[in-house]
Amino acid sequence: MTDTQDEWEALLRAANAGDTRAYAAFLRKVAPVLRGIVRARGRLLGEAACEDVVQEVLLAIHLKRHTWLPDAPLRPWLYAITRYKVVDAFRARGRRIDLPIEDFSDTLAAEAGRDPTEGADMLKMISLLDARSAELVRRIGIEGASVAEAGRHLTMSEGAVRVALHRAFKQLAALRERHLG
Amino acid sequence: MKTEDLINALAADVGPEQGVAYGLPWRLAGAFALCVGAVGVGLGFREDLGMAMITPVSALRIVLALTLLGLGMQAVRYLVRPEGTGRLWPLWLVGGAAAGAVIWGLVTTPRADWAAEAMGETALACLVSIPALSVLPVVVLMFALRQGATTRPVLAGAMAGLTGAAGAAAAYALHCPDDNPLFYVSWYGLSIMLVVGVSAIVGGRVLRW
Repeated sequence: MTDTQDEWEALLRAANAGDTRAYAAFLRKVAPVLRGIVRARGRLLGEAACEDVVQEVLLAIHLKRHTWLPDAPLRPWLYAITRYKVVDAFRARGRRIDLPIEDFSDTLAAEAGRDPTEGADMLKMISLLDARSAELVRRIGIEGASVAEAGRHLTMSEGAVRVALHRAFKQLAALRERHLG
Repeated sequence: MKTEDLINALAADVGPEQGVAYGLPWRLAGAFALCVGAVGVGLGFREDLGMAMITPVSALRIVLALTLLGLGMQAVRYLVRPEGTGRLWPLWLVGGAAAGAVIWGLVTTPRADWAAEAMGETALACLVSIPALSVLPVVVLMFALRQGATTRPVLAGAMAGLTGAAGAAAAYALHCPDDNPLFYVSWYGLSIMLVVGVSAIVGGRVLRW
């Protein structure tokens, strides 16, 4: 567990310094663990809805990643965000749950969830964005375009793409609040 | 949307972000400086301010308020992060000190004057001024908390209120001529609690994410 922690910390530190690949690696490590936690709690919701919750938590981690102090332990920070958002997401779907912190260690130690399924909510939220932002998120996320490529398609500078993309994620989180909360 | 696709999109959005609560101490200091200025210009500093500052029972108002300010600020600094809980027990020490001041006031004030001293002459002014002065610092703190990620919005709001109101009370004390602890513990205390209560409600609404 300590190994994992050190590794995750190094990845997020690099990510917060601007390293895209480290960040993707970090999120790929976090996602299955989140999935395990959410599925253990939300069996009744069904897998697709669970995946929606996982994506919501990932988006929250993304938007709040700078609240982690590079020299602070990562785990309490990650647990705190996860617990807050998972409880929030379940409440928005009409379920109250408790997530005691001990449960987290268990779930983390246990095997993470099975293969991911697709979530449905995020695409719905993306379709509510303005056309250009939606296009950006789709191109970069689903089609795997780089920031530069997406910029060329939409005749935007890389800087403008980054700004627009960042704003799009903030809007997605806000839309989620409005439509589910 | 596949989670993997979302991760790809999120990863493209790395970039240096300002740290949380970046520059907050300076903005807050600015807000409190404006409070002091507003008291000086709008209400006027009390004429015997120099004397009051070295009179223990009078200076205690400011010491208590500044202590609350420090503790509130400390709590905000913890609560701005998701894992932060904020230690609240030191607040009881301030409460204890305030209670001690009240007892001291009761002992040194003739029983017949208790009510008159506690009501003072400026209770209403106090009750209006301290909340009014605290608006700006509380707003500054709420904005900083919104940039963070508190997982206890109500408590964080309350602590923002405490910090702002305590600073406002310290500024108001530079004007307020009432030195009896029976007065200031009651009315400063009530004013501060009012702001704490409202800020807790506001925090519960605006500090969610």
